[in-house]
Amino acid sequence: MKVEFINPFVAAAYHVLEMEIKAPISKGELRLEEAHYTTNDITTIIGVVGKVSGTVLYGTAERTAKQMASAIVGQTIAIFDKLAESAVSELGNMITGRASALLEEAGYPCKITPPTLIIGRGTIISTTPFQRLIIPLLTKYGEVTIAVALKETPNVDIRGYAPSVGGVG
Amino acid sequence: MATVLVVDDSDFMRVRCRQLLVGEGFQVLEAGNGQEAVEKYREHRPDVVMMDITMPVLDGISAVKEIRKVDPQARIVMCSALGQQAMVLEAVKAGARDFIVKPFEPDRVVATLRKVLV
Repeated sequence: MKVEFINPFVAAAYHVLEMEIKAPISKGELRLEEAHYTTNDITTIIGVVGKVSGTVLYGTAERTAKQMASAIVGQTIAIFDKLAESAVSELGNMITGRASALLEEAGYPCKITPPTLIIGRGTIISTTPFQRLIIPLLTKYGEVTIAVALKETPNVDIRGYAPSVGGVG
Repeated sequence: MATVLVVDDSDFMRVRCRQLLVGEGFQVLEAGNGQEAVEKYREHRPDVVMMDITMPVLDGISAVKEIRKVDPQARIVMCSALGQQAMVLEAVKAGARDFIVKPFEPDRVVATLRKVLV
């Protein structure tokens, strides 16, 4: 996977997370994983379609998700309810949206699908294992991982792509 | 008191916008997708619409076009995580008056809505 596809997500995640949870974050060691199931308690999946295509997954432990949701909603969230689900999904949406603008600037225009939230580890999300580059981000509430599984698709025409395709977010 | 129709499929984003705008003296209506936004616009004729782009049922760009058929003078501000130049141009071509990229500073939202309402 090209490094040009990774940096926009790191830059976007720093910007969005620092602005929303109002605390500094730092990046851990990048690693490769191959799986066809979710590996975190809470996973937000967003599709990318365009000159670069694939899937981006944002994963956290439930405790981290609740604490982050509490920080961005501005009230204590004890149970991971509908509002918390929506807040965590929106974080993934904002990071991917900002990353897609940076990808466009780098010559890879693309559009994104609405986020899909999956609760529970081990949920099968693909019929075959796929390789993802894991970017661990450390926040004061715990770790957020961004799993990027993207490839260049030079001949795709995205002009007719409707941004509402792909699920509910 | 101006009425703002906030259109976003994210419950969290609608709650955040409602808290912000009510605190600034606006009346707020809400819609969870573009189709609902068109129906609420027809019924209530709000002073300004804050419209997300990526939504189920009917996306924000298509909803802007539908609302402009109902009211060619409709004042619509896009508010989306999609900040690509191509998307901004598409929104402006559809009839949007301004574009706010998420995550946003609250002051920027209020200033943009007040500017559009003048």
